[in-house]
Amino acid sequence: MKTASIRAGLAAVLLAGAAVTVEAHDALTTSVNWSQTVSRIVYERCASCHRDGGTAFSLTTYAEARPWAVAIRDEIFARTMPPWGAVKGFGEFRNDRAMSPSQMNLMVSWIEGGAPEGDPENVPELPEFPPESPPAPEPASVVRNGATLENAIRVDGLFPRDIPDGGSYPIVAELPDGRVEPLVWLYEYRNDYGHAFLLETPLELPAGTVIRGIPAGSSLALMPRPAGPDPGD
Amino acid sequence: MRRVKRATGNEPLRRAASRALVAGAAALALLGACAGGDDSRAGPGAMTDAERAAQVAALFDAGVYFCPMDLDVRSNEPGFCPRCRMALVMGLPEPFDYAMDVTVTPERLEPGGTARLDFAVRDPWEDRPVTDFEIMHERPFHLFVMSQDLEHFAHVHPTRDSDTDNFRIDLDLPGAGLYQVLADFYPVGGTPQLIAHSFIVPGGGLEPAVVGVDYTAPRQGENLRVELVTEPAEPIAGQETELYFTVSPAEGLEPYIGAWGHMLAVSDDLIDTVHGHPFIADGGPEMLFHLTFPRPRNYRVWVQFQRDGVVNTVHFDIPAKALTF
Repeated sequence: MKTASIRAGLAAVLLAGAAVTVEAHDALTTSVNWSQTVSRIVYERCASCHRDGGTAFSLTTYAEARPWAVAIRDEIFARTMPPWGAVKGFGEFRNDRAMSPSQMNLMVSWIEGGAPEGDPENVPELPEFPPESPPAPEPASVVRNGATLENAIRVDGLFPRDIPDGGSYPIVAELPDGRVEPLVWLYEYRNDYGHAFLLETPLELPAGTVIRGIPAGSSLALMPRPAGPDPGD
Repeated sequence: MRRVKRATGNEPLRRAASRALVAGAAALALLGACAGGDDSRAGPGAMTDAERAAQVAALFDAGVYFCPMDLDVRSNEPGFCPRCRMALVMGLPEPFDYAMDVTVTPERLEPGGTARLDFAVRDPWEDRPVTDFEIMHERPFHLFVMSQDLEHFAHVHPTRDSDTDNFRIDLDLPGAGLYQVLADFYPVGGTPQLIAHSFIVPGGGLEPAVVGVDYTAPRQGENLRVELVTEPAEPIAGQETELYFTVSPAEGLEPYIGAWGHMLAVSDDLIDTVHGHPFIADGGPEMLFHLTFPRPRNYRVWVQFQRDGVVNTVHFDIPAKALTF
């Protein structure tokens, strides 16, 4: 087996790389930098909380974010940040805060590549942040696991309640015609997130639909679509 | 089918080292030019660490070409990625996320049946339909399909529907349960996109797959055998793992859709999906992939290699441990 030859080759690669970077004390091995790329992801996904005047310490400048780089990577991997609490792709949400796989790749490339700053002139302006998504309106249909809907509902959003911290709960709607629609896959959800999951497209659930996947002792508020045009119309 | 000249055993080492040395020399030359152009830094040690770091970082802003797929591959000249063969592009990636609408028909899916998936991509600025895509690995649109029990895996390529301009494909549904698809495409003017989507075939539960942990035994594909050695031997979540694959026989090994190998790692709960290509490969029997397992879970890792026109798909089940002190 010639695996050893590849390992030796790798050692040579690393040594050659070290010749480039050793003087900077920082092994920069990525073309992804803060100014051009990472700042935009942070502004989109993190800065609504992590900013001056936000609910958490600021990460809006390179000097503020760089010391947290490894912790940021770990939180991203664990899906505990951004505090969205649902698996991407299981249902589509118009207020989705989760990083896409592409954004995760860029963030991890930046962090593992030495977290370079790049040209500060490329940093975009900090955007304005809209108010948080509203809590579940009243009246909403609050259901528990296995509940059968007595009336049809046009669902616009979902608001979990009393969910055990840190679990994994795919919640689905079983329609009378046999279809099974993904609603939301709660993952690392915490009740203090306090946000609803607002559907990209309202979902029609006929009477007789059964909701499954809600953990014991928890509930899910089905937020009806208010009268008026659909989102995006 | 394009044939390539097989390399000798030492060629991977020579080529990899050569590339790195050329890149290193170019970078050092640039550093030297920067330092030499500033009289205030007359002697060695006059430059602070911060100034040196800034100069190294500036290399990445000064006309650097990079691979949109393998972001750590860069060059001061245009060319092709030595790893995945994509054309290098100038500048630095902007992290715009595109929207992708997925329509699954029929509405009522059946185990053992088929599903038609239509993909409509919209831009992040004006929400307009996107119709121009870069070719990545010989195709404009790649799709990975995984069943919930991880027994079904497919790497397929939806084609353009002439009526709608959307991408479309028919998928076999061998069983009930959750299916996860991962779309991989690169809109012209944007950046490579990876977008996940789930749909459910009625009749199954939604429990995570039971994935074993045996990754030391060789796997037999259609016409080649694959062995795996990992470094470290017990991978740690959040830390980079090196995966050394050895295929035999290697005669007749060919690039498959633009790369010597393809890898997809999926966690047992379908939440993590990591796609990659060899870090070092040149047509010889050994290939090195880099992979960081995101979380401490069990992962199924599929690899694909082509030999004599036959695509070999095998998988290894690998546990990633939590980092402990």
